Amino acid sequence: MKNEVKRRLFGFWGTAAELIRIALRAILANKMRSFLTVLGIIIGVLAVVAVVSIMQGVFQSILGDFEALGGDTMFIRPNWEMFQERIEGIRRLQLTYEDAQALARDVPQAKEVCPFVLHSDSIAYHGRHDSSQVVGTMESYSGMYSFYPELGRFLAPMDVAARRKVCVIGQDILDKLALPTQCLGTEIQIGRGSYLIVGVLEKKGARFGQSQDDQVFIPLTTAIVQYGPETARNIFIGVQVHDAARMDQAVERISNVLRREHGLRAGATDDFRIFTSEELQRQIKKFTSISTLIVAAIVSITLVVGGIGIMNIMLVSVTERTREIGIRMAVGARRRHILYQFLIESVTLSTLGGVLGLGCGAGLAHLVVWLLRSTVAETFPPAYIPIWVILSSLAFAAFTGAIFGVYPAMKASRLDPIDALRYE
Amino acid sequence: MEQGTNGVLVEARGLVKDYPMGDGYFHALRGVDFTVHRGEFVAIMGPSGSGKSTLLHILGCLDTPTAGEYILEGAAVHTLSPDELANLRNEKIGFVFQTFFLLPRANAVENVELPLIYARVPPGERHRKAMDSLRFLSLDGHAHHRPNQLSGGQRQQIAIARALVNNPTLILADEPTGNLDTTTSTNIMGLLKKLNEMGHTLVLVTHEADIAAYARRLVRIRDGRIVSDETVRR
Repeated sequence: MKNEVKRRLFGFWGTAAELIRIALRAILANKMRSFLTVLGIIIGVLAVVAVVSIMQGVFQSILGDFEALGGDTMFIRPNWEMFQERIEGIRRLQLTYEDAQALARDVPQAKEVCPFVLHSDSIAYHGRHDSSQVVGTMESYSGMYSFYPELGRFLAPMDVAARRKVCVIGQDILDKLALPTQCLGTEIQIGRGSYLIVGVLEKKGARFGQSQDDQVFIPLTTAIVQYGPETARNIFIGVQVHDAARMDQAVERISNVLRREHGLRAGATDDFRIFTSEELQRQIKKFTSISTLIVAAIVSITLVVGGIGIMNIMLVSVTERTREIGIRMAVGARRRHILYQFLIESVTLSTLGGVLGLGCGAGLAHLVVWLLRSTVAETFPPAYIPIWVILSSLAFAAFTGAIFGVYPAMKASRLDPIDALRYE
Repeated sequence: MEQGTNGVLVEARGLVKDYPMGDGYFHALRGVDFTVHRGEFVAIMGPSGSGKSTLLHILGCLDTPTAGEYILEGAAVHTLSPDELANLRNEKIGFVFQTFFLLPRANAVENVELPLIYARVPPGERHRKAMDSLRFLSLDGHAHHRPNQLSGGQRQQIAIARALVNNPTLILADEPTGNLDTTTSTNIMGLLKKLNEMGHTLVLVTHEADIAAYARRLVRIRDGRIVSDETVRR
């Protein structure tokens, strides 16, 4: 009676533990072959983990950068998506300096409104040529995006009002043009114009994988003169609100003002788009999860190849161990005991392969990042391995083992005991 | 016979076994009636191909008859499914084979534990029972040796320990001394005889008369039929 109770308690998990022990013994008895068998799984998991963790590292760093942008700012740009749909929309598809002024005037929720234009251009000093990002903007840019001068000053209202040919440079520009340490008052060439350096910014580091120190700031009005009137109709507007909690109100107000300025009728599509950092994060997250899934799905095809390898060797193993199966059956193993034994063996094997692949994949990801950092991209973000990658790759490896182990295990369990014992 | 019908352990009637062979069939058994009572020690003798091993396999629930009935302790074996047969082999039958059939990668005690795994005996109790069984055969010193570290006689003793471990009602031996030298054979047969004297029911298949002589009843089989069945007088 007591034994019967014990037997029931031992039950399923006891049997499972037993079968895993048997499986491990069989796997370890033939280490080299076991390793070669799961090589496909190892490589499959390795590839998935390496690729996904590098991607996740990049995405995490992008998301972190967005969080650093702050919850009280938003970004407005022309609705380029509409431009793709409706070619006749071109004429109205613009954001202007006047729009920015209207926002500053009519949106009480806005603390700062900062229009800016971006232009890639050549820069030169004393025969050294290079290129950089030219930002045409106003004094408010400094506070809104935290660009503070280390030397000299940022752009001033007078610079903008008088269309002065002055510039504030990022730290990278010092190296690029080999400027003297005391460069304030020096003139550099930006495109076709000569600009007086009035400030050098503090070092900021990278954001979105791009150095923020490789930029030159000039007055917005000067930029419009230099790059033509078309520039004035293709500006971006940054807005900082007083109260981050009332972001929605501000967005609605801004939208109304811009629609009025652009003369949009009720029901017409906005010809501008407003991005709060929350909205941007949401979009980035959507994009990253979709692209991660696609890449993971493509790479996991290699796991199928690995699974076929497992099936192949398990079939060989079943044939080789026909005698063993016969002995087990002779002493009372039921079909399902044999089925589970081989199934658990292939699942254990592939899961061990998954663990190895996980380790190697993580190692490879870090190696790749290290190589990128020490050669072409110093600011490349570190690889990041989320828990779900670890769990799902192990689960997928185990699942592959189960799927491709079923057929050999069924073959083993269907053997006739007498035939199996007689097998030479 | 001194035992009553209550003492009947094995009752087979009209056992037929055909194997497909070429275009036709090989008739291994052509209608065998066979009864074993509790406590008997039966030797089945016959030349190779006579059907004696087939009969033993059917008695041991390893094989099923093409026709006929086989009742083992009241269970109609010929009607059972493969899993039910497996349970019977596990609970009621202890097998001893000519080539021992031990698992090469497992040590002695693990080999002896094997039937208990499928009987779902918890590990501690299982190990204890297996060690008891080995101790009974004075093999506990070899518990952690693998089969290839042991002599043929020791291997067969391990196999006997395995056959005994789940306390079977019927012990079946298929040419148990076929791979052993004469001295070792004598030991093994002495051991089987001792088991019978302790109350175990044994059925032994052999083609050697001096091995069959250890039994108390001798059944001769030829061409799938029983040709004689007599009590051995010593």
